Amino acid sequence: MDASRPFRLELTGITKRFPGVVANDHVSFSVKPGEIHALLGENGAGKSTLVKMIYGIMQPDGGEIGWDGQKVVMSNPKTARKLGIGMVFQHFSLFEAMTVLENIALGMDAKIPARELEAGIRKVMDEYGLVLDPHRVVSTLSVGERQRIEIVRALLLNPKLLIMDEPTSVLTPQEVEQLFGVLRKLAVEGCSILYISHKLHEIKALCHTATILRAGKLVDTCDPGEETSRSMAEKMIGASLKDIVRGEGRELGEAKFIVSDLSTGKLGHFDVAVEAVSFSVRAGEILGIAGVAGNGQNALLNALSGEILAHDASDVTLDGQPLGRLDTTGRRRHGLCAVPEERNGHAAIGDFSLAENTILTARDRMSMVVMGLINSGAARTYTGKVITEFAVKALGPAALAGSLSGGNLQKYIMGREILQRPSVLIVSQPTWGVDAGAAAAIHQALVDLAAEGSAIVVISQDLDELLALCDTMAVINNGRLSPSMPVGTVTVEEIGLLMGGVHGEKAAEDTHAVPA
Amino acid sequence: MQFRLEKRQEPSRFMLYATPVAAVVLTMVLGAIIFTTIGFDGVGAVREIFLTPLINPLKWQDLAVKASPLIIIAVGLSIGYRANVWNIGAEGQYIVGALAGTGVALATWEMTGWWLLPLMIIAGVAGGMAYAAVPALLRVKFKVNEILTTLMLTYVSVQLLNYLVLGPWINPTGYGQAQTRLFNADQTLPYIIPGTIVQLGTPIALIVALVAWVLMSKSMFGFQIRVVGLAPHAARYGGFSENRTIWLALLVGGGLAGLAGVLEVAGPFGRMVPSFPTNYGFTAIIVAFLGRLNPLGIVVAGIVLAITFVGGQVAQTTIGLPFPAVGLFQAMMLFLLLAGDILVRYRLRRVVRLPAAGEVA
Repeated sequence: MDASRPFRLELTGITKRFPGVVANDHVSFSVKPGEIHALLGENGAGKSTLVKMIYGIMQPDGGEIGWDGQKVVMSNPKTARKLGIGMVFQHFSLFEAMTVLENIALGMDAKIPARELEAGIRKVMDEYGLVLDPHRVVSTLSVGERQRIEIVRALLLNPKLLIMDEPTSVLTPQEVEQLFGVLRKLAVEGCSILYISHKLHEIKALCHTATILRAGKLVDTCDPGEETSRSMAEKMIGASLKDIVRGEGRELGEAKFIVSDLSTGKLGHFDVAVEAVSFSVRAGEILGIAGVAGNGQNALLNALSGEILAHDASDVTLDGQPLGRLDTTGRRRHGLCAVPEERNGHAAIGDFSLAENTILTARDRMSMVVMGLINSGAARTYTGKVITEFAVKALGPAALAGSLSGGNLQKYIMGREILQRPSVLIVSQPTWGVDAGAAAAIHQALVDLAAEGSAIVVISQDLDELLALCDTMAVINNGRLSPSMPVGTVTVEEIGLLMGGVHGEKAAEDTHAVPA
Repeated sequence: MQFRLEKRQEPSRFMLYATPVAAVVLTMVLGAIIFTTIGFDGVGAVREIFLTPLINPLKWQDLAVKASPLIIIAVGLSIGYRANVWNIGAEGQYIVGALAGTGVALATWEMTGWWLLPLMIIAGVAGGMAYAAVPALLRVKFKVNEILTTLMLTYVSVQLLNYLVLGPWINPTGYGQAQTRLFNADQTLPYIIPGTIVQLGTPIALIVALVAWVLMSKSMFGFQIRVVGLAPHAARYGGFSENRTIWLALLVGGGLAGLAGVLEVAGPFGRMVPSFPTNYGFTAIIVAFLGRLNPLGIVVAGIVLAITFVGGQVAQTTIGLPFPAVGLFQAMMLFLLLAGDILVRYRLRRVVRLPAAGEVA
């Protein structure tokens, strides 16, 4: 990095207001050529808004953007791409039924003959060790492979700045390493990278500089190498971080929740079913289920919560009671509560008030229905309790669920289930998109619930979360669940291999093809 | 100057109630313009259609008679629409309900007793339900779209009506005229306001709306309907069965349409005739949406649509406006309402040209 060269990207006093909030408040920082620059912040801190302005999707209300020493106006993404800015979004925009090549062709501004484009794709893939067959149909690809399409698409434009939005949230540890290899190579060649993430150890491992945003304002620009994960997290949330407090000398009780040979049929065209899943959870135990997204987690959660019925009642038992043929309402009456991954439209209804959302799952256990009529007073009281005990930022029980931020809604949903004191709680992605402070509170609530003797199952793609929280772990891959292993006896590498479904020959092939 | 639609943080409650009113007012304005340009007295037409029925007390009883079936059918439809069950064949369920009631009346025409009318009403509701059960079964078992089946069954019901009235049910003393016997006094709805044509159907309509309002806003039944309609995934998570809800929605919609049918045949008609279908079942769709799928709003919307019917007849005689013009006004109202609905979730903002980056510090 040559200090005399102009900055690749220079933001000065960028400000963006939305009705009711200032998403970015005079944010200024700069990125040098070949620098891997992290953009760090909690949900709602303004990272996405900032990046959208750099990529021309939104226009700033104030401030200016400099590019290689020149002042520029990013009027739309096409302008940004012309200047050499590439972006890989967190949510891929790919057509499932089309091939890799067709998808890439659709995303190009210029019309390039298929043969030329394919040659270009193969060249980029060779150069960066990305393995992908251009003629595969997207629906047959894993999430990691799909991300490679987006990366190749961005690299074809020879970017001078590559923006990556939360790229590793869907990858196995091994895939993350491969991705970092590609990014480091790009940086050495002079491409700047703006890397958005909240995974602090990744930022420490990869990035040269980190800019931390909090509530739309720039808090600090620091060298991740000199910071600890904890110090960066505390700058991010603006308060000191609490550790999970576990009771001393905790002993796990009898096997409480037993699942044996549970299978779901194939549900939808692109869904993964679960096959012959067996595990048991003891009273007081937290079982973590790791896995890359799209390996049957949704089917597993639905089969455990009762949204999908089991073949036999005895496939799912709680304290010896067979629950397999009961729906969600029946299972809740027996003390089994669940939180699905998707908040909007699944765990909660945006157009309903929080009190109404409470009725959705707590009506029986918290006696909110008398003779078919809703006791809205009871619903409001319980909702108020959830709001207070879980520090949900909301105007009150009458606030629409859709008006809450993602993190606050998640706190509400977790609180709604945990305060019902279920004897078994199944949660998927309990802290997805939740800020560090709120995540710590949710983790603590789960640990406390377990300490009272409940059995808890946490399905998550965040290995760090599972390792910090769980007593035992299992891995789901392609709808099959590995045996449970006590945390502490298993390494991250072993879990990573199980997550990738790598056994024997496929492992050899992967290592051969991808020198990471 | 440019305008831009901007998503609101929360749906606007003001717009939720303001757009139906705006739709009615805009319909009057556009209607006046359209009919003036094609050579009618446009302003006069709008005045006769929308204002005369309200100003002239003699027309109020006509409003009550027209509004009652519309309200009953629309309340039933609104419950289905809340659950995303699109029953657009209320006309057919209305006809079959009326036929079921007629069947009871004809089978008992020599009998007397207070129980005749209740029995006919039960038969009417059951008839409407049974006719709506066909699309429900097809939807639940074979995933057949209920929009198609309910609509197509309407045409079947018209043929059934014609067959019965021309064939087995024809009045034996009617000189071959295609109509049934006149119902006897115990088979006919009593008048409830002396000296008017307002019958028992009107208070029944108000009670139906009130009961539906309580059910939809305070009961688990209404909660389930709303959850299934808004978020099918959340409904499954909450323990509500989608199939059960489809059954419930169609049976309630069909039952109420059947109720309206039997009240109409035992009321204003007094016998079954081939001209019995008057598109109440279709007009009720407009009523349901204009009333914001809220039973109390539907009462108001039912009266508004009744005004256009009554006013249309007035305009026909006073300024020679063809009666189909009423349909034009009603359709315009529905389209303007649906178009205006975007303002509930979006606001219109004037776009000021953005200053180039740098001009504002």
